[in-house]
Amino acid sequence: MTRRDVTIATAMACALAIAGFGTAAAQEVKTAPKYGDMQTVTQDLLNRAGDDGNNFLQTNGNYHQTRYYPNAQINRANVRKLRPAWIFQTEVKESMETSPIVVNGIMYVTTSFSHVYALNARTGEELWHFKPKLGPITTYCCGPNNRGVAVYNDMVYVATLDSKLIALDAKTGAMRWQTTIADPELGYSETMAPTAVNGKILIGTNGGEYGIRGFVRAYDAKTGKLVWNFDTVPENSVGVWATHDATGRDMHRDIAAEKAQLAKHGDPYKRLGGGVWQNPSVDLATNRIYFVVGNPSPDLDGSLRPGDNLYTDSLVALDLDTGKYVCHFQYIAHDVWDLDAVSPTVLVEAKDKDGKMVPAVLHAGKTGHIYVNRRDNCGLIRYSEAMVPQENMWVLPTAQGARMLPGANGGVEWSPIATNPGLGLAYAINLHQPMTYHVQSSPYPGGKLWLGGAFKVIPTEEQWGNVTAVDYNTGKIRWQVKTPQPMIGGVLATAGGLVFTGEGNGLFKAYDARNGAILWSFQAGAGVNAPPSSYTVDGKQYIVVAAGGNVQLDYKRGNNIIAFTLE
Amino acid sequence: MIGAFVRRRAAAPPGDVRCNGARARAPSLFTVKDAIVTGFLPAAARRLTLLPLAAFAAAALLSGTASAQNIADKAQVCTACHGEKGVPIDNNTPAIWGQKAGYLYLQLRDFKSGARKSDIMGPVAESLARDDMMALAEYFEAKPWPALGQPAAPDDVATRAARTNNSIGCTGCHQGQYQGDGTQPRLAGQRREYLQRTMLDFRDGKRGNNPGMSDLMKAASPEDLAAMAQYLAGLQLTPGQ
Repeated sequence: MTRRDVTIATAMACALAIAGFGTAAAQEVKTAPKYGDMQTVTQDLLNRAGDDGNNFLQTNGNYHQTRYYPNAQINRANVRKLRPAWIFQTEVKESMETSPIVVNGIMYVTTSFSHVYALNARTGEELWHFKPKLGPITTYCCGPNNRGVAVYNDMVYVATLDSKLIALDAKTGAMRWQTTIADPELGYSETMAPTAVNGKILIGTNGGEYGIRGFVRAYDAKTGKLVWNFDTVPENSVGVWATHDATGRDMHRDIAAEKAQLAKHGDPYKRLGGGVWQNPSVDLATNRIYFVVGNPSPDLDGSLRPGDNLYTDSLVALDLDTGKYVCHFQYIAHDVWDLDAVSPTVLVEAKDKDGKMVPAVLHAGKTGHIYVNRRDNCGLIRYSEAMVPQENMWVLPTAQGARMLPGANGGVEWSPIATNPGLGLAYAINLHQPMTYHVQSSPYPGGKLWLGGAFKVIPTEEQWGNVTAVDYNTGKIRWQVKTPQPMIGGVLATAGGLVFTGEGNGLFKAYDARNGAILWSFQAGAGVNAPPSSYTVDGKQYIVVAAGGNVQLDYKRGNNIIAFTLE
Repeated sequence: MIGAFVRRRAAAPPGDVRCNGARARAPSLFTVKDAIVTGFLPAAARRLTLLPLAAFAAAALLSGTASAQNIADKAQVCTACHGEKGVPIDNNTPAIWGQKAGYLYLQLRDFKSGARKSDIMGPVAESLARDDMMALAEYFEAKPWPALGQPAAPDDVATRAARTNNSIGCTGCHQGQYQGDGTQPRLAGQRREYLQRTMLDFRDGKRGNNPGMSDLMKAASPEDLAAMAQYLAGLQLTPGQ
């Protein structure tokens, strides 16, 4: 049985696809003067993505994941003239989290249930549509989402909900190869976008709510063969019995009880969770990758998993060639609140404790802090002021439910942050969603949701969100704008002095990067809960974003990809 | 070759079967007595001959290679309770036509392992190999969801259901419009009584094969769950969705 269903929509779309890539219709192909032939995505092109004012080549813009787009054609002075250029409607009306990738005028987007579309980035016209035939078993915690593709040479890579990695022909959408990453019946699924680098496709896994053992893997980009595997939970997951979190607060662990449990049942590493939700950052200079690892399983019940539960809720650095461990830093040891680490890491230069600029890595936590760590040894430099109210931390979950802020969605969820290196600011979107934390111990149910309790939103308390700019050299909040609903999706910053992000109520807004002033907004008609991208084609800069709503927060669903340009 | 045996005995008189306490007529394939005499029942199923349906079904489902015809034959057994046209014969039996295959498979797996307990479904599933379970699950998923004719909930009930969803996040797994996906069951249009009983069974631990659901159900009140069952049973989809 074939596992693909490629649709070439119309003869015209097909012709456009050929025109977009072929040499016969050279007038259609704008090769970038800076980097030469862009018929394929070379490693050199990817290395230079941070300075590429034409394309948007990686999920978070570039290997450092700054989400800072270097074109200033759309800027503070003219953003009020930003209008929709085109709207593309996908076949799937369900939660959208895709980061549009743009290569030389061709855009690649994904939808829920792991569909991939190639579009003409000038017009929104469909070039091809890849619809995977998912197996009957899919297990996922937070919606059938997909966050996008990776592009490399002449291929497009997507990871599917039923835990497969698939390589497609960039011109036609035809499948070149596929490989099974893990067994979905055991709780594994894929929603993240892969990362392509040095002949490898890097991918993590979801499943922290299903008693999996997490990993990050590298597959050969040409063949799909496994190159290396790193288990995010080591066989000795106990750690140092940390009693305080990264910010110095007591987590109220019962270390004696944990030690007794450890002596009785041994190390819990086999079902300890540790999913990886988002792309790693790549430091080309040191040949290392940096990523964060999600919560331990089961989320709320620590009684079954003694120890620090390494490397859950941690920043981890690996050697890119071998996947060997370099260093880690655990934000929260033995987490029983699911206030884990999911938003992607960002590499910046930041001041260390002595004020000296050093290579650093940022991560925005569900705790509501942005953490700044050193790249050389993963050590913590500082953490920001809390971007949302924190109350009653770290009260332990109870059977009846204990109220603590933030609620279990954050703070900052999986939403990628953006940075403006000139201003030294990181822009994060936050949730304020008061919850009670309930614990109920139960044995592993075999590939089913395994929370060890429940998170319950307190219906009588107000919920809201905010956009926050943090000075990562000091940890201080520079500006903050409150939004009527909790925020989930992602942020883009541009050289035009702008910050773009969307809301569950359908509003997509541009903020002044310096002070948070709202300079422009557009009502998309469905929740804008995906990270925006930007690209430039035929000399025109566009901003593009998906408006598909969100499962997790039940924001209005839609199926639109909307590209904006100046009128 | 149980399939051949079943076809040969197709003219035999129907047997009495029991579905969740109600009596129903089994499809006229063969009787429990036949199955026992001819040695087709596994030992565990023989111990359960007081539940004629279970024994009957277990016998009929004894695994062979899963051809399409074979699966259709095996699926005939299920109709005794789940209905000829997908309309269950009583209020406490769920609709399985059009249900998500991943969910159906996991339930059969759990009935077999005992993680989900049922005097009726346990023996039925005991005889099934993994491939059969998956084939049956996909067979039923491909069927149209039956119209059970349950009325839409009044506004106050719908509002209460929406508030409950906001609090414990049902649609996070069961999807928009409660359509289900993969291993998460469709709830929209399911039998109200079955839904309510199932949620309460999760709540008090009677149904133990999904502790996550038990935890969520404990975080809601029985009154909320009653409203949710009524809302879900009457949930009608807008055409085209």
